[in-house]
Amino acid sequence: MQRQEAIDILARSREGIVSVVTMQSVAPWHDAGQGEVDHIDATQCMGSASSIALGIALARPDRKVMVLDGDGSLLMQLGSLATIAGAAPANLYHFVFANGLHQSTGNQPLPAQGLLDWCAMATAAGYRKAVRIEQAEDLIEQLPGIWAEQGPLLVELVIAREDTEPRWAGVPMAGQVVALKASLAAER
Amino acid sequence: MSTNAEPVARPVDSEAIVAEILKLGITHVICVPDTFQKTVIARLAELEVPRTLIVCTEDEAMGINAGLYIGGANPMMLIQNNGIHASINTMKAIALDAKVPTFIVVGQFLRDATKAPEENRARAVRLLEPTLDVWGVPYFRLEGPEDIGAFAKAYERAHEDKGPAVVIVGTPTV
Repeated sequence: MQRQEAIDILARSREGIVSVVTMQSVAPWHDAGQGEVDHIDATQCMGSASSIALGIALARPDRKVMVLDGDGSLLMQLGSLATIAGAAPANLYHFVFANGLHQSTGNQPLPAQGLLDWCAMATAAGYRKAVRIEQAEDLIEQLPGIWAEQGPLLVELVIAREDTEPRWAGVPMAGQVVALKASLAAER
Repeated sequence: MSTNAEPVARPVDSEAIVAEILKLGITHVICVPDTFQKTVIARLAELEVPRTLIVCTEDEAMGINAGLYIGGANPMMLIQNNGIHASINTMKAIALDAKVPTFIVVGQFLRDATKAPEENRARAVRLLEPTLDVWGVPYFRLEGPEDIGAFAKAYERAHEDKGPAVVIVGTPTV
């Protein structure tokens, strides 16, 4: 599956879910029109996306929160799997774009490339459920069921290598923090 | 080097610290356990509010703090000096660049309380304040019971500046 395919499928099914996105999924998420509302780009803090999402999920259990993470990013703060599992937010959906590469810095291989099993790690850490999806049509078919599940739930999205230049949306996170905080507060 | 063997810093009662935390309306204490503050952590664990979240790293703590703040909660962090040194990049990105109020209480683990921090042999102790100075992070020392107001000062500074502000706990709490 191509990253952009997965992004477009997730964008079409988002329906008001708060999104936190990091690294090479940021620009495609904006391209898909998802960067304006109820959204944070977790930039310059590799590995922190799922922690930011966890905080939002705990503060707002009435809202679903999705995080679009990378496998290299998650490796940088791998303990966050245990922290999320321990906090057990039922409204957190953790999508890991898994290409086995540090795409942003030139597609260097991750440690244990080809050996990592994200679903096994997530469930071993205590996530309620984890699923691995390799094909776009399977993602389309499974997403409604995924949103109906209780979290924390991890979805490993197996994506293809891309040899294009890395892209960044270039939107300051500070403004997104203010906007999302205001948006969430306005609902109360 | 100081030759004075009398304590420079004196212990603060955990009950007084928790009272300050309650006065500030803190909803979540995000904690990477710290030896100097273990009595505070034990007292907090007895409370439903604030909720204490034990996390794996200070990087995580800063991210969770940001998310809780965005969602309308009123969080703080409780960590040790080594945790500040370990999480500078995340503090830069989230607390400073993204302008997230980040109220952090930091234990000066391994500090010799008979000496000023800058005279301590342990680098983690000696370099904490210079490190915070480099990044422009305000800090307030808790060197004894008379400094209890440091909590309100740091909290207010974090929210006024929309950034990090630190209380430095200079000796183990009791």
